[in-house]
Amino acid sequence: MIERKERKPYWRDTKWQMMASLVPFLAVVIVLPLYAERLNSNRFLGFPLGYFLAAHGLVLIAVITVASFVNRQDAIDHWHGAHEDT
Amino acid sequence: MTPMPVRRLVNPRLGPYFAIFASACVAIIVLSLIAEQLGATPAHVRLLILTAPLALIVAIGLATRTGQASEFFAAGRRVPAVYGGLTFAISAFGGTGLLAITGAFFLIGFDALCLAIGGLAGFVVMGVLLAPFLRKFGAYTIPSYLGARFESPALRVVSAGLICVPVAMFLVAELKMAAFAGGFLTGASTYTNLVLAGVAVTTTILAGGYRAVAWSGVAKAILVIVALLIPVTIIGIWLTNLPLPQLSQGPLLRSFSRIEAAQLPIVIAPGLAFDMPGDALTALGKRYAAPFGAIGPHGFVTVMLTMMMGIAVAPWLLPRIASAPGVYQARKSLGWATLVFGLVMLTMASAAIFMRAILVTDIATGQIPEWIRTLASLGLAEIVTGTGGAEAGRVNLSGILLSRDAVLIALPMAGGLTPVFAALVATGAVAACLCGAASAAMAFAATLSEDLWHGARKEPPSDKVRITASRAALVAALAGSVVVAMAVEADPLALLLWSLALTGSTLFPVLVLSIWWKRINGYGAMAGIVTGFSVALLAIISGALNILKIDPALAGMFGIPASLVATLATSLMTPTPSRHILEFVRDIRVPGGEILYDREMRLLRLKTRKRSAG
Repeated sequence: MIERKERKPYWRDTKWQMMASLVPFLAVVIVLPLYAERLNSNRFLGFPLGYFLAAHGLVLIAVITVASFVNRQDAIDHWHGAHEDT
Repeated sequence: MTPMPVRRLVNPRLGPYFAIFASACVAIIVLSLIAEQLGATPAHVRLLILTAPLALIVAIGLATRTGQASEFFAAGRRVPAVYGGLTFAISAFGGTGLLAITGAFFLIGFDALCLAIGGLAGFVVMGVLLAPFLRKFGAYTIPSYLGARFESPALRVVSAGLICVPVAMFLVAELKMAAFAGGFLTGASTYTNLVLAGVAVTTTILAGGYRAVAWSGVAKAILVIVALLIPVTIIGIWLTNLPLPQLSQGPLLRSFSRIEAAQLPIVIAPGLAFDMPGDALTALGKRYAAPFGAIGPHGFVTVMLTMMMGIAVAPWLLPRIASAPGVYQARKSLGWATLVFGLVMLTMASAAIFMRAILVTDIATGQIPEWIRTLASLGLAEIVTGTGGAEAGRVNLSGILLSRDAVLIALPMAGGLTPVFAALVATGAVAACLCGAASAAMAFAATLSEDLWHGARKEPPSDKVRITASRAALVAALAGSVVVAMAVEADPLALLLWSLALTGSTLFPVLVLSIWWKRINGYGAMAGIVTGFSVALLAIISGALNILKIDPALAGMFGIPASLVATLATSLMTPTPSRHILEFVRDIRVPGGEILYDREMRLLRLKTRKRSAG
């Protein structure tokens, strides 16, 4: 169980981790499709680049975002002793 | 009293069990192929491929029969991350997503990505902002979380009443889609198919509740993935000689876009346009990879964010996070959901590209291909000659009208596979519909029984009463939805979009703030939920009646900011939350320690026992 004085630093780290995961991800998700038309003149694996990045690229980015979030947040939990006792 | 065991036992044989199920599915496909070659009638083969996997799924549902509330409402809190993620990914959009979004990819290409990306981002947002904390709280429904978080039974009852609306819309959409896909297989009328779908969902989950939803959901998800991957991969190998359809269609896309460029105009949609294909027969309107021809850039971003917020708080997904074995596993299951959803979405997009490639090359020869004639005889396609600059008697791309929802099922026919594969894809679609419908029906039933029926009571009734009430609510909810689906003519995809816009507006700001902002109080939450719901509902109604010149799917654009502003303003104008509530929020934020909902139940039970003893 977490100690009382650890709660503030724990929540600060958690908040920063949330920002670090969501802000870049949301920025890419919103901005990338808007520029797809200009990127489409390039090719990658035969795909128009804009379409490829908006479909395959965003899936990859989403999976990496969640995976890194899960690992980082688990490390934060353990560092502050906030993890579940198994 | 012995302390609760902290480590919950996860069944170590889950892997083998579901591997057996997956190989049974493959065996059924092989058997149907053999039966077809031996000369069985197509109708019998279709029935075999539909009923055999569904019988296994219903058997799984019946085997999870339980009489304990924590099993019935939270699957015993022992659904590991991979399995949780699988069902999350498939039931987020259900069969409506599978059929209608593939069709949308086929008809409007790039623009349909707004739905797929929205769902994907929704899982990321749910995993980071909400899931771990709701798992730590561990409530069985969203209203009961809100009621406990703000210590307000009124909020619990009101929010329960409001979220029933989007859940019912989603349930009706899934049942309608199940009847459509089932129509290919059974050949019966729409009414019969709707009743059959309702009965299938009821028998699967009546005995086991969320436990049945979890485990039969895994089986359904496996069936969906098998039914989607096998035909698409085979056609991919035929067309591109490479086995990974998601990555190999690049050159194909390039070669058919040259023909498209000759026959289809470049269209540029105005900013807020949202021209999602409906359930009428539609012609190809734009080139596949060119963005913003049917949906304008602002509409694209708005719908994407609406989908994201809607999926992140979807009442048919979020309560199921309570069945994860721990907070860490809850985060991880959203990771798996993102991965599976992304792969399914890319496979759907490649199915659409293959379909376009086949259609474009077939039309370029100047003949009307056989498979389009077959579809036209089923009423799912129409051929208009002499349009779009074609000579009289000839047909070009804009003269082929196709049904959006039939695209995925038509792909094996167009690719020249035997009818077994079309039946397989339709079975997968039925399974996806049942997966979505089962989780929506169970969420509906739990909300009705737990929050509306017993919601105002301080102490929960006994397990037996809770489960019986919830079973009765389940039957009533499904029967009601089947009747509504019979009576109301509506496009399932539109229903899905409206339901997500409503959910996002009603719940997203309040749920996120209830964890990340300590100053929020009960009045703010109530104001946010009621404002978001009413603004979004008004926007949907006026959009649908064409009073507002904006598509109803964009209703989240008004509802979500309205809800956010109402929550912030009302909270700041009313007193700060009590010390007790703040302590409670601090507890939710930390993963370690006892599940708060279970602790509350135990304390209430102790109190009741003491009172009856004294």
